[in-house]
Amino acid sequence: MRRANCVAKKSVVLSLLAISFAAGGLMQPANGQSASDAKFKVRLDFNRWHDYDELKADMLTLAEAYPKFLTYSSLGESHGGREIMLMTINNPDTGPELSKSAMYIEANVHGNEIQGSEVSLYTIWYLMEHYGRNEMVTRLVDERVFYIAPSVNPDGRQHFMAGTGSGARTGHVPVDSDNDGLYDEDGPDDLNGNGVTDQIRKYVPGEGTHRISHRDERILEPVPPGEKGDYVLLGYEGIDNDGDGRVNEDPVGGYDPNRNWGADWQPNYIQGGSMDYPFQLPEARAVNDFLMSHPNIAGVQSYHNTGGMILRGPGAEWQGTYPPEDIAVYDVLGKTGERMLPYYDYIVIWSGLYTVHGGFIDWTNDGLGMISFSNELWNGGQYFNSPKLKEQQQDSENEIEPRRASYFFDDYLEFGEQFVEWEAFDHPDYGPVELGGWKKTRGRVPPRFMNEELSHRNMAFTLYQADEMPMMNADNVSVEKVNGDVYRVRVDFENTRVAPTITARAAENNVVDPDLITVSGRNVEVISAGWVRDRYKTSATAMIDQHDLNRIMVRNGHPGHTTRTIEYLLRGRGDATIAYSSQKGGTAEVTASLR
Amino acid sequence: MHYKKFVLLLLLFPVLIAQVVAASTSADWNAKPAAVADPIDGYHNFAALSAALQRAVRGNSEIARLSSLGNSLEGREIWMVEVGNRAGVATDSRPALLIVANLDGDQLVGSEISLRIIDYLIAGYGSDEGITKALDNSVFYIIPRANPDGAERLFSGVQTGQTTNMRPMDDDNDGRTDEDGPEDLNGDGLIGIMRVADAMGAYMVDPEEPRLMKAADAAAGESGTHVLYWEGIDSDGDGFYNEDPLGGVNLNRNFQHAYPYYQVGSGPHMISEEETRAIMDFAIAHRNISAVLTFGPHDNLVNAPNNKGELAAPKELLLPGFADASNTDARKTGTFATPRPRFFRRAQQDRTGRPSSGRRPETTVNKTDREYFTRVSEEYKKVTGLESLPATEKPAGALFEYGYYQFGVPSFSTPGWAPVSAPAAADSADAAKGSKRNDTAKKNESVDGEILKWMDAVGHDGFVEWSTYDHPTLGDVEIGGFVPYRAKNPPTAVIDSLGPRHGEFAVHLASLFPSVRVAKVEVTDHGGGVFRIEVEVENGGFFPTSTAHGVVSRSVKPTMVQLEVDPEALLSGDAKTSFFPALEGSGKRRAFEWIISGNRGETVTLRVVSQKGGRDTADIVLRGE
Repeated sequence: MRRANCVAKKSVVLSLLAISFAAGGLMQPANGQSASDAKFKVRLDFNRWHDYDELKADMLTLAEAYPKFLTYSSLGESHGGREIMLMTINNPDTGPELSKSAMYIEANVHGNEIQGSEVSLYTIWYLMEHYGRNEMVTRLVDERVFYIAPSVNPDGRQHFMAGTGSGARTGHVPVDSDNDGLYDEDGPDDLNGNGVTDQIRKYVPGEGTHRISHRDERILEPVPPGEKGDYVLLGYEGIDNDGDGRVNEDPVGGYDPNRNWGADWQPNYIQGGSMDYPFQLPEARAVNDFLMSHPNIAGVQSYHNTGGMILRGPGAEWQGTYPPEDIAVYDVLGKTGERMLPYYDYIVIWSGLYTVHGGFIDWTNDGLGMISFSNELWNGGQYFNSPKLKEQQQDSENEIEPRRASYFFDDYLEFGEQFVEWEAFDHPDYGPVELGGWKKTRGRVPPRFMNEELSHRNMAFTLYQADEMPMMNADNVSVEKVNGDVYRVRVDFENTRVAPTITARAAENNVVDPDLITVSGRNVEVISAGWVRDRYKTSATAMIDQHDLNRIMVRNGHPGHTTRTIEYLLRGRGDATIAYSSQKGGTAEVTASLR
Repeated sequence: MHYKKFVLLLLLFPVLIAQVVAASTSADWNAKPAAVADPIDGYHNFAALSAALQRAVRGNSEIARLSSLGNSLEGREIWMVEVGNRAGVATDSRPALLIVANLDGDQLVGSEISLRIIDYLIAGYGSDEGITKALDNSVFYIIPRANPDGAERLFSGVQTGQTTNMRPMDDDNDGRTDEDGPEDLNGDGLIGIMRVADAMGAYMVDPEEPRLMKAADAAAGESGTHVLYWEGIDSDGDGFYNEDPLGGVNLNRNFQHAYPYYQVGSGPHMISEEETRAIMDFAIAHRNISAVLTFGPHDNLVNAPNNKGELAAPKELLLPGFADASNTDARKTGTFATPRPRFFRRAQQDRTGRPSSGRRPETTVNKTDREYFTRVSEEYKKVTGLESLPATEKPAGALFEYGYYQFGVPSFSTPGWAPVSAPAAADSADAAKGSKRNDTAKKNESVDGEILKWMDAVGHDGFVEWSTYDHPTLGDVEIGGFVPYRAKNPPTAVIDSLGPRHGEFAVHLASLFPSVRVAKVEVTDHGGGVFRIEVEVENGGFFPTSTAHGVVSRSVKPTMVQLEVDPEALLSGDAKTSFFPALEGSGKRRAFEWIISGNRGETVTLRVVSQKGGRDTADIVLRGE
């Protein structure tokens, strides 16, 4: 089993329990080779898109099927009165939620970026179906807590699913986008009732800006300078609803729900769509209230689409770079992710994508001290995902050269499902026009049949991240009598995972409680404490210069994959319990007997 | 619990008042108060404030209404009084002045001034022309006590000078909340400063004024002799004294402009507090707010922004800062060297191939707007008589800066009074001769020295002489220093005088509001059902319909000029719905022209809607030559 060392070395209560579960016969014989695949307890679809009600129904089905581990709740109400669904995955036998390092997974903050919700649902389903069946999944569920919010913008999702898909990125708090004192009064209209917000083109022989391509009659291409085409484009399907002389100028919402967060928040003229203050949006506020009351969350994943990216902050250049210690951690995780997710690049938001102020993962990293990624799900390169096909695409005469590729794919792989043929329509303002174009489910989301792979690979990356969140271990207690009732006691503290208990940025910003090393014992007094400089050489320890040595603070946490040895001079007799407690890496303790 | 009362003030009121507003001509200005009273009696605790507000609006609902914007953490209302004649145009469609006081818990003077502004406006309606006009055409939103929980600490218990609200915060981030606040060790009812002789100290007794301390300057041959702490014990045994007191968040450091991220007192994030959120939600629901006036430790009224658009340098009290400095390291304790993790490789540098969108938020007043700030400042000084402020703070996350930089309107802050001693030479014959020398002397004087001099001059008992105390862990210490609140709040008699003057100033601000109207309409009948409509829109106010920065920041909506005809009837000219970003005041006009098809005798409505300058309509009858 991969990363088995994580289990083997631990002496904390959690993992002992985990092992005992595994040993206790929970593992089913499905691991063997002789039987058919075990049946799933809950069968869900991952090759179709779920609307809000379907998503909620699936969540409830899972919660009912696995009541011991799953708790369904709502983080709060969206503007439109929908639930911001949350599934908590916790094994109560291995401790209460807040005692264990947690991973927060969310999706769909942009209403049109839908497939992250299916990834989230898949994650819950997969963890539950494989608990007790797969050793590593079992260990993960036992060691960690997962908080999964599949759609943090349910209004936007429903707008996308039930409507034409147009204008679904935003949430639904009304904004007067055209400054006329009216709110959301003139959005696009599905004039021909085909469920699609089509493009409008008008046939103007010899006077237009576009022409039909000779390669494929569905392709409308701009004409070269100096030539005339037969069509002009008149924007998207709609009318002047409010009679102000403009079309579609104030659709529903009109802001960016992923710019309303508390780190590097900037006003609208610097960052469009940020609203008037951070956490003004009910959805952002509900999510933040939850995160701030769950300091055990160490890792965050916020699924978006599209492009195939594993994004980390900072969102803006002027925020400077992350501290090198933090970058090292992100790099380990991100570069591993690149190998797990073909066509995905691990990049920094501002330098690799675009500048974002007040974005969600900037807040969770800077303001909450959580290691945070945002995956942009789906890369267009995955339509023709083999080196041979990539090579064919280089040939401009080939049927899958870039301009024709999407039509080829639609014709042969999706049976023409995604393209809406141009049809004549008598527009109230523009007269005879044609409507047509691509459906909402093409482009930013994968073809439905490819979504299970997308879900699984991204889940796997996120579970890997969860597994590498900090986990503290205490071991190798040694007690040496110095003189009389004075003892030298050494303990090794080890963080067995990649992530530190407190990131360097969190320590700079003072946003995570310090780790504490405590000594308790009825007849024990701490004379001094220090870090052992070298376990194999004799030298004075590096003195810990704090007033209260029964409660030593480690403000910048314990780095990943690191062992530190503390040495106490203790006076007294009997047992001394030495404990290391951290908000994000759990608690580990040992007992030293002074005798 | 007991508290020390303000004492010895009122005997000296005449002197004090005369000195605060030297140029006064008011009849009652030099009147001696009838009786000597405890000055705290003059300040309103929350119950008294609530009663006073209810009294003020009772029977006056046509012109004044009281409501609550929300509740503080301890459940007190964030009161807001709307003052404006509700007959006529809906008040929320009229230009408004938002007045907010007492965001800083220890700045109660602003609360008291606000109360008097409310009284001034209500009392003057119908008799004073300026007030009547202001209440008929505009509206005042007055939030007299934005931080009722913090303010309440003046009225009970030991005087701490609480600036924050009462939200429990782990100020030193040690995993414990509010566990080490100050203690009144010597039982004098207030929290002073402890000075401890210590050769490791950075401070020394100020040779010019032995009651004060100064930072030792090694380059001047000085060495430190003392360490300074806030009065109290090390309750949590961490080696720091009083580093995590009760509360909280300083509400005037919790707004969105120049927000001090992750600092003690600034909150977990912008607008994190019930109180600040209540104010923000009110403000963004009332975009008719055309100007903001806050009372607090910041100033841009006595000293207008300079010709670069910057504020005057702050002048902060030294002694409290020295005591604060003893806890600077509390948030660093427990920082250990991190060994290079064994998985550490050369970190990925943020790729710089793609240039960042480099636009940064403005931090200085727009050149075009400066003149307006200067004009208002001149009027402020004239009306209030305030000429200089010895103590001011540097704004960071302050509401008044939000008001300009993000809400986009002229926005002001003032302490509302000044602890200024009369010029030394004021009574002497050689005043003019000596003034230059005095100015030079003043420059060398510390903020503390200046305030102490004022206290001495007016008999304001605001400084506790150092007296020895046997401290449980520090041994022999001396406790003394400024009395909390007193350097920031004057005796009520000063407020009784300055309050109405600020009322007058508020009315003046309202008189400057932009005011749009349809100034000229001309219709030409071209025959065949074709008409030409020519219109001029005027701003008859003083302020432009938007500040220049309001345009830059897109926070002020452009003024809309809309001709209510079918879009198809519009043949040529301006858009049916036209906008302009800003129109200067003082009668500046802007012209619009449409050619439409219609029927002779038909009426077409023209609407002009300005977010900050009101609205106007004109019914245009299609007839003409």
